[in-house]
Amino acid sequence: MADLVWLHEEALRLTHPVFAAAGPDAACVFVWDAARLAESHVGLKRQLFIYETLCEMASARAMEIHQGQAEAVLPRLAEAAGAGRILVPASPDPAIRAAIACLRRAAPHCEVVAVEDTPFATLTSQPDLRRFFRYWNKAKKSALRPQGI
Amino acid sequence: MPICRVMNEMIPLPSRFTDRAALLAHIRALAGDSAADMPVPDIAAGGRRAAETALAAIDPRAYAVSRNHLDGAVTRLSPYIRHGVLSLDEVRNAALASVGDARQAEKFIQELAWRDYWQRVYLAHPERIWADVESYKTGFDASEYDPDLPADIAAGETGVACIDQFVATLVDTGYLHNHARMYLAAYIVHWRRVCWQAGARFFLDHLIDGDPASNNLSWQWIASTFSNKPYIFNLENVAKYCGPDINTIPRHNLVLDQSYERLSDLLFPYMGGTHG
Repeated sequence: MADLVWLHEEALRLTHPVFAAAGPDAACVFVWDAARLAESHVGLKRQLFIYETLCEMASARAMEIHQGQAEAVLPRLAEAAGAGRILVPASPDPAIRAAIACLRRAAPHCEVVAVEDTPFATLTSQPDLRRFFRYWNKAKKSALRPQGI
Repeated sequence: MPICRVMNEMIPLPSRFTDRAALLAHIRALAGDSAADMPVPDIAAGGRRAAETALAAIDPRAYAVSRNHLDGAVTRLSPYIRHGVLSLDEVRNAALASVGDARQAEKFIQELAWRDYWQRVYLAHPERIWADVESYKTGFDASEYDPDLPADIAAGETGVACIDQFVATLVDTGYLHNHARMYLAAYIVHWRRVCWQAGARFFLDHLIDGDPASNNLSWQWIASTFSNKPYIFNLENVAKYCGPDINTIPRHNLVLDQSYERLSDLLFPYMGGTHG
């Protein structure tokens, strides 16, 4: 079955690993949810920046922008595209994580896969996140080496 | 195949516009914003091409020595990184490729690491984005801070000249140099005793690189709810880092024109002397 890539505002680039994880003919969609953007304090200036980026992406690759709530729109788009999988860039944003959880319930016929970005630093153990420099002392060695090439 | 070909009821939104004004009108219509005409804001260009142009221009060595100055060699990559147009990984790799020795890019990469750090905190503790991580270390209880941003700050009409200039830049361009963000945040929280959440919302509403983790946790760092002491500054510091475009005439910035010791006494009367 085909794949559907769901892009969101945390990962606006065609080189994100989500595209390598999807099949070469995967459909791609961004769901413009004006209410969610407003609730997340994404003002009009940032919306302009995001949409401008989407326009450039849509000129380089087949992708569509749809209006609505992701968890409502995506099951219908996946069905229309004959998609068995929806692939989405992983994000720490609770709203996106909640939408992914909703989507899994709303589209049980689809596998929903969150794809991690290439890491900035690879840590061998869980860092102490109480202060930056405790994290940095563990991350520094990895962060100062080129990765993901 | 266009997804919508078999879904007549779901028509994609347009992705081609004659100019930025037309795109802005489209976005405002989607947002249900029917207020008076809004001028097209002077913000950074969206898209990968603009991001790659900015990435090609980075100078990690110059950044290391001048980044705290408003006219320093800062990269303006933040909106592209925040929205994933560029990955932290590729920005780091580009920085390393631009220097002969990795140590020359260390300060630049350490600043990238702050973003990675904030994202890790966000993932592990999403509740910390809007709640105090720790108590204020200012001698005041959280309940003593105003929950709302005063109107004069939002309008850039505080009467403190440099603060009003920072607000105008933020509102007009969706960008503010990091040092100016720190000054403005500290003024809001410590001089006006407004809770950091109100300021964080104000920044998120205007910044095109606005990120809940980087923004809010940085506000908590300023406020002292995610650091060991409150961050404050004085007019002498603003003059040192901001250059002639920012008004640092003492009589136009009276509340900032003090020594750190005096400011600590004035702002935190129930604490011993402290500043960032």
